[in-house]
Amino acid sequence: MATNDQINIIGKGITIRGSLTGAGDLVVEGRVEGQVNLKNHLTIESSGIVEADIRADDLTINGTASGNIDAITKVSINQSAKVNGDIKATRVVIEDGAVFNGSIEMDVKLPDDI
Amino acid sequence: MANTIIGSSIVIDGEISGDEDLVIQGTVKGKISLKESLFVEASGVVEADIEVQNVEIGGRVTGNIAATDKVELKADCRVVGDVRAPRILIADGASFKGNVDMDVKER
Amino acid sequence: MAATKEFGSSESTIIGPSILISGKLSGDEDLTVRGRVEGELSLTRTLIVEPSGIVKANVAVKNAIVSGVVVGNITATESVELTKEGRMVGDIRSPRVIIVDGASFRGRVDMGNAEPRPASERPATRPAYRPATASARPATVIARPAAVPVRAGKPAPPPPPGKGDKSDKGEAKPAPPPPPAPVLVGEGGKKKVLLKKKK
Repeated sequence: MATNDQINIIGKGITIRGSLTGAGDLVVEGRVEGQVNLKNHLTIESSGIVEADIRADDLTINGTASGNIDAITKVSINQSAKVNGDIKATRVVIEDGAVFNGSIEMDVKLPDDI
Repeated sequence: MANTIIGSSIVIDGEISGDEDLVIQGTVKGKISLKESLFVEASGVVEADIEVQNVEIGGRVTGNIAATDKVELKADCRVVGDVRAPRILIADGASFKGNVDMDVKER
Repeated sequence: MAATKEFGSSESTIIGPSILISGKLSGDEDLTVRGRVEGELSLTRTLIVEPSGIVKANVAVKNAIVSGVVVGNITATESVELTKEGRMVGDIRSPRVIIVDGASFRGRVDMGNAEPRPASERPATRPAYRPATASARPATVIARPAAVPVRAGKPAPPPPPGKGDKSDKGEAKPAPPPPPAPVLVGEGGKKKVLLKKKK
């Protein structure tokens, strides 16, 4: 098991099927199918494909993700990303150019009279 | 201080209310009630009952107008409806059909 | 009272902060909402909801920039942007959707056919990301990103840790995974493939 200050990389040639659990930051440049449950930061690089339900503290997507995402703090869907699924997070950022289809659930504070 | 402008291509079907001046260059159908002044410009078309403080009409209005201060019908306007206000100005060239009520106290 | 002339040439519509419009609103010009609009709103141009603005309506526009509050669905033929002050509950249908950090949103996003843009449209160099704190009124012209050009697959030694390697982007739509290559574990004590496989 990795410790928190390690950066773990799933390289380009790698495919993981099953469930992936851990602490420490993870960078996916390859492919992950199944489930991801991570205590820290997950980065999906532009070559990365994740077909999994994802739980993480915080998530940066430059590649492809499909599945539901549950993040404690923030999900950033960057320009080159392609994401399908439902997202629950405190903050969600979608950059121009990103492709996203699905729902987003953040806490929205509306005026009282609406 | 006219903050609100309804531009010439805009069509509103419904109610407008507020506490600021309103300029209409487009089309409004329904009802307008304002605590300030309404300006219906030459391109403006209003098919609505109007309740305002002041109104200045250069365009077309169909509907009843009630102003707490003044109604001014400008030269090229076309107004069909009853007008009620303490002060009413009708310019030469305005076309107007309807009743005028200046709330003159009867003896 | 003779003030009407000064608004004569206005090409956009502003709904001031104290104004409430309820009903249907349609038009062919930009609309800035600082007050409140309820009902239905359709424009062939841009809707700007300023921080004081509230739109409680189903909206059909070309572009929408939301810095205020929108409750209702937005369908845009071009783009929808929620700025850092924007709050929205409802569904968005638009080929481009931008949500800036700080915005809050609950609802569905449908960008339609999720095809990456052709590589030919992609600028030669990757444009710098726009800062997350983009101003409330972004430039109208925004570079349309395209698919990352396909690179000949080099043999992939484990890239440097951290950010990954920007110069060696994979295909935007990678082919099915190549057969698993041998995993290089713990090179330099930093890189490590975390593999925990369960059936």
